[in-house]
Amino acid sequence: MSNVIKLWEKRRGDYWTMAVKYLRLIGNSGFLFTIYLLFVFGSYYYGQFLQWLPETFPSVLFFTLVFTWLSTRGRVRTFMKQGDLIFLTPIEGKLGGYIRSSIKYSWMMETFWLSLSLLLLAPLFFDRINEAGSSLIVILILLSTLKLWNLATSFQEQRILDKTQYLNHTFMRFGLNAVAVYALFSHQSIWLIGAIGILFTIFYIGYYRKFARMYSLKWERLVEIENQTVMTFYRIANSFTDVPSLKSKVKFRRWLNPVYKMVGFNSDKVYHYIFARSFMRSNDYFGIFIRLTFIGGLFLSIVEIDWGRWFIAVLFAYMTALQIETLKNHYDTSQMIELYPVKTDNKFKGHQFWMAVLGTLQSVVFSIVAVISYGLMDGFIILILSLGVYVYQVQVRLLKKYETS
Amino acid sequence: MTELLNVRNISGGYQKSKPVLHDVSFTVKPGEMVGLIGLNGAGKSTTIKHILGLMEPHDGEVRLLGKTMAEDKNDYRQNLAYIPETPLLYDEMTLWEHLELTAMAYGLSETDFKERADNLLKEFRMTKMTHWFPSHFSKGMRQKVMIMSAFLIKPSIYIADEPFVGLDPIGIKSFLDRMITLREEGCGILMSTHILATAEKYCDRFLFLHQGKIILQGTLAELQEQANMPGSDLDDIYVEVTKEDRHV
Repeated sequence: MSNVIKLWEKRRGDYWTMAVKYLRLIGNSGFLFTIYLLFVFGSYYYGQFLQWLPETFPSVLFFTLVFTWLSTRGRVRTFMKQGDLIFLTPIEGKLGGYIRSSIKYSWMMETFWLSLSLLLLAPLFFDRINEAGSSLIVILILLSTLKLWNLATSFQEQRILDKTQYLNHTFMRFGLNAVAVYALFSHQSIWLIGAIGILFTIFYIGYYRKFARMYSLKWERLVEIENQTVMTFYRIANSFTDVPSLKSKVKFRRWLNPVYKMVGFNSDKVYHYIFARSFMRSNDYFGIFIRLTFIGGLFLSIVEIDWGRWFIAVLFAYMTALQIETLKNHYDTSQMIELYPVKTDNKFKGHQFWMAVLGTLQSVVFSIVAVISYGLMDGFIILILSLGVYVYQVQVRLLKKYETS
Repeated sequence: MTELLNVRNISGGYQKSKPVLHDVSFTVKPGEMVGLIGLNGAGKSTTIKHILGLMEPHDGEVRLLGKTMAEDKNDYRQNLAYIPETPLLYDEMTLWEHLELTAMAYGLSETDFKERADNLLKEFRMTKMTHWFPSHFSKGMRQKVMIMSAFLIKPSIYIADEPFVGLDPIGIKSFLDRMITLREEGCGILMSTHILATAEKYCDRFLFLHQGKIILQGTLAELQEQANMPGSDLDDIYVEVTKEDRHV
């Protein structure tokens, strides 16, 4: 029994060692300063926002919706791994301690998120629902208790194999939560809230506890929940630093298929062929390209100072080019491509080709935005500037990258 | 020049101080299927990596159609197809795109490519999956993609590392039937495998690799003679010649 708990503690330790490393990187990346700035400006605008918000705004309903969602979402995190399907399944009956630790841990984490959300919404709460701080704290404690109930029931729920049944139970929980959360925020009498609490407890003992006896753990689902949690963390961390273990999914984007026709069937075009597909479908190179082009275009249409716009055009073209440049290392771990009887020079040409095509496309978008917002002349300057960046990238920088490796 | 592949006194490995292969020599002639047999860790994959030119030998040389890799890298690789032990696929490309890319890389004409690809898809029963991505493939289907890519380019020599793993019975039969046809057409095949019964049935000659050395090589009859075990099958001979090792 103590062994299982030790295993659980080791896994939690491993996860946090990893997480702290990334959190430190996030902290160093200027993120904290951004948060501080947001806080300063946020609190100013928050006050204004509350004044602007009409008296008729249905605050209670709003709180009910937000916290019903927060109560229903989130499942027990078990730190289960793929290998457990083989190595832990034989002792499924002896995992009580492991599961209890998981529930306790998830409860703590979820309570943290609940407190954070309630803290963010506190000014609205004090302004519209109740001025007393004690009321907020009582609500937080009761919400946390409701969360524990949700975690316990949702853990029993995961034992249901049938997907529709499983989802139906989640919907049912959502409904029950809505009633309970509404009772809290609309300040119903203690008796009613107490009665709801008792009913929920009876429901758990009378209905959900049976599941543990009737159905086995659904291991694959537990592993999936765990993977999703880790992936969410990775994805957030990935926007600040590079996360190597983030295996990004391939997106097919079939609507882009006509683009591939730009490359003909020719043995010199092997890299043209493969670069196009990697760029459009994997690692989200394409997504980043679209986002940078969109944000760049947005800035170009807003900024009214001439040199500011020119600077933005150059900056965004440069940032995008850097992203396209990373395609060079995309096949470093692929053995097959090494075996192809193709000149290595072709790789550079393929990369050059796509950088030129994408760069031209982006420059044209930027200049069209500038023409619409500030006239023909400005559009022309923006076009020349962003194209200039790409000419430099394609002719000088990329070549250097290929020559030095 | 009568050999397709000539491996001469190769010593090699990842570290010069710890060679994995010791003085390995063998040949593959046109129209010959050679079985490379050895325990896990005997050095089969390392041998194959040296032939593919993914590793350089510390000593000795590998010649393909009389040329070494250093003489002309593209020419050298043009003449061989490799079927790896674990399928190496691009997650972002469909089955058809894998074949098309391979055809382009090896300089096939577009008409040849389409004709061969259609035939292969039919033969390996993968027509339905033509536009699927590898994430939807089972282990066997992934292996089939590698096999089809290799057959598509029709090189002089095939290097296959455990090609049967994960294949269904029809897949194995299609693979072997093709191999036999290719052999008749004068191709050379080097195949590493653990499935000795199949190897015995199809291979012309065998190489027994043990702890990085070739301990026996020849036809089944020659092996029986060298091991002094007339009438025994490949399995028995193999177990016998590697025996003393297991008592240590």
